[in-house]
Amino acid sequence: MKVAITTWNGRVSPVLDVARQVVLVNIHDGREVGRLEASLPGSDLQAQVAALVALGADVLICGAISRPMASALSLAGLRPIPFTAGTVEDVLAAWQSGNLLNPAFTMPGCCGRMRRFRGVWSGGRHRRQGHEPDEPLPPREAQDAKGKGEKR
Amino acid sequence: MKKEPIPIPKESWSGAESILESISDGVFTVDGNWRITSFNRAAESITGIRRQDALGRMCSEVFRASMCEADCALRHTVKTGKPIVNKSAFIVNADGRRIPISVSTAILRDNRGRIVGGAETFRDLSLVEELRKELQGRFQVGDLVSRSPAMRRIFDLLPQIAPSDATVLIHGETGTGKELLARAIHNLSPRKNKPFVGINCGALPDTLLESELFGYVKGAFTGAAKDKPGRFALAEGGTVFLDEIGDISPALQVRLLRVLQERTYEPLGGTETRRANVRIIAATHRDLSALIRKGLFREDLFYRLNVVKLDLPPLRKRKEDVPLLVEHFVARFNRRQGKSVAGVTPDVMALLMAHDYPGNVRELENIIERAFVLCAGGQIERKHLPPELTGQPALVPAPAAERMADQMRAAEAQAIRAALERCGGNRLAAARALGLHKSTLFRKIRALGIELPREDGRRSRRKS
Repeated sequence: MKVAITTWNGRVSPVLDVARQVVLVNIHDGREVGRLEASLPGSDLQAQVAALVALGADVLICGAISRPMASALSLAGLRPIPFTAGTVEDVLAAWQSGNLLNPAFTMPGCCGRMRRFRGVWSGGRHRRQGHEPDEPLPPREAQDAKGKGEKR
Repeated sequence: MKKEPIPIPKESWSGAESILESISDGVFTVDGNWRITSFNRAAESITGIRRQDALGRMCSEVFRASMCEADCALRHTVKTGKPIVNKSAFIVNADGRRIPISVSTAILRDNRGRIVGGAETFRDLSLVEELRKELQGRFQVGDLVSRSPAMRRIFDLLPQIAPSDATVLIHGETGTGKELLARAIHNLSPRKNKPFVGINCGALPDTLLESELFGYVKGAFTGAAKDKPGRFALAEGGTVFLDEIGDISPALQVRLLRVLQERTYEPLGGTETRRANVRIIAATHRDLSALIRKGLFREDLFYRLNVVKLDLPPLRKRKEDVPLLVEHFVARFNRRQGKSVAGVTPDVMALLMAHDYPGNVRELENIIERAFVLCAGGQIERKHLPPELTGQPALVPAPAAERMADQMRAAEAQAIRAALERCGGNRLAAARALGLHKSTLFRKIRALGIELPREDGRRSRRKS
């Protein structure tokens, strides 16, 4: 499985729309087996989405994401885990242990929105891969997530 | 994660807190590790982040500005000691909204003058941006940009035309934006969430056009292995744009007339009648009235199409749009190509204004696109324009003279040179070979300015 994390100065890049660097981590049986870095255009929204799609990642972990960017990614079939903060290594470890919903890895002010994003977005790809978040989703959001997962 | 705020010493505040709380600009300060140390009320309101959540966190994760990564204003100020005033950017707030802002920065020093951090003030420009867009919107509908009165009249009509299902006929020269106008009508209509399907009627032979428009059923002709839906079926609920409608054959005109009259059609080889729930927008660069007079276009079809007619004026009749269009295309190509071309120099603008644009807006777009290929940054200069615009000779050699007399002179000169070469420079032999009297040949050699070879043949014979 390939996990892409947009990075800046060793941390998750603050804004996906303008992120210029991404690290692609290859994970097999819960162990990292390879890692490479790639550049992103960081300017035009469509070019940014195209570059992210071209990575072929199964999971995209990123910082803040604007609504136009979220829509464009959604149209391209990418379901990111947005509004994530922290060092790349900590975030990667948290994702592997299913602990990424911990507020320590959440950008400030995004609790409500982020859970909604994650509830829906990780409900598809993240869950199907067996990574149940530690924190249970609220019932309504969990239902939404399930609905989306079944549709896809 | 470290979340404890690192407070700025109370003495450095000196009552400034209450002032910061009262202003409408967002203000935050950071320590030497780029962690937020203070966050005023306006900052809370603009970013949607509570002070207690912001304090102690990395400023880039709280502020989330487009400039944080590549061009952080505060880093620049701390590094150079120079403040930055009103730098434009956007932030992504807690709801994922892009909020346009202007940023100013300053260094924070303690009582001994040592740098202890930085302060950033930011202003929400959402309202300014909305007003700017509204102003721009007065000159722009969809991808059509204009401030000319003729186009203004069309823009004003669109909100009335778009909601109805009335057929629209767009007339305009090539490159005036007929398809853009059709798309604008579609996007303003209740059908905007349904497909917009365009087809160039002039680009396809008659039979192919028929199958493209109406589709065919399995077995309709050799190779029709399965049913294929036509454009009318693909555009179900949306809009069909028939470009170059003046180029369709009389037979197809009859079938199209039926679609317009009864909103029904049959796919090729099919027996079942289908309903066409589409809006039709047609366009042409040809004068349909003249075609009717010549018997090439059906009058009844013309009147079916001509429910609402829009005439797109050529660019040469709305030169006032050239600067606006140039600005529009420069911004578009900057965005697409990731460049930062600042615009065009005044003399380039003068040349662009003086041009007649037989290819209309598309030609201007191509001129700007060509200039973008040659111009790496700064402004587009004269040297980036195509030669036909600057009046300089083209790089390729000019075509041979077109006048018949000139062409005959060139052919005569070529024949004489070839005969002289064959005869080793002997003029008399060359004259015989050409069937001319030697005096006529000499006269022609002088008149055509042909340079004679050094050896004249006779002399070389004598020598040998």
